[in-house]
Amino acid sequence: MADDSVWGLKKLIIETLRLEEITPGDIEDDGPLFGDGLGLDSIDALELVVALEKTYGVVIPDSEVGERVFRSVNTLAQFVREQSASGKQQSAK
Amino acid sequence: MKYDETELRVRFNEVDSWGMVWHGHYIAWFEAGRMALLGKFHLLPRDFAQMGYIAPVVDLKCVFQEPARLDEEILILTTVLKPTKAALTFRFQVLRRSDRKLLASGEETQVLLTLDGRMLYIIPQDLRERFQPLFDYLEEPDSAA
Repeated sequence: MADDSVWGLKKLIIETLRLEEITPGDIEDDGPLFGDGLGLDSIDALELVVALEKTYGVVIPDSEVGERVFRSVNTLAQFVREQSASGKQQSAK
Repeated sequence: MKYDETELRVRFNEVDSWGMVWHGHYIAWFEAGRMALLGKFHLLPRDFAQMGYIAPVVDLKCVFQEPARLDEEILILTTVLKPTKAALTFRFQVLRRSDRKLLASGEETQVLLTLDGRMLYIIPQDLRERFQPLFDYLEEPDSAA
């Protein structure tokens, strides 16, 4: 099962975006991922969306959802957990 | 990978005081190549807009090898990579027609927005279906090969 912890997500971000100079410890749990903070851009968002779907099976369809989900690693982790729980409930029906 | 070809002739207004095409004009040539390719598949900007989307350029690269000069016939070669994410990446080559010498190469990436400015993170099914003939065409063997 993929590691959906905050640490696991930080590793996914670093590996997906090839942030060679960054370690998980460098990324603040509540810090902004886009603009200030980690400084990711729109193309990075697209790469992350693909990686998140492949790794966790979660879908982020557009920037309206992305704005909320990508606010920080904590909000991303919460989203992944919510989607995963929702997915398990659907499969259990 | 197959490239579509468009021909142009270098115009007087495109040449700088050193006698070579000013670097900014290559981007307009890329645009000419892109429009020629996409026009074949009804994927011009107005077609996107009719479907409810726009596709702004967010990244652009150009490497210059040799200058194009006044009155030279040039070929703009254009292709687009099959997307692995919700973005379209076009690749271009500018060749001198007489000897097919590579003059410049470039790449542009476009993202997809709805008309109200929402960026799409997943290519919608209607766009995927509209793109498919384009990607089928680019995967066909080059008849010149």
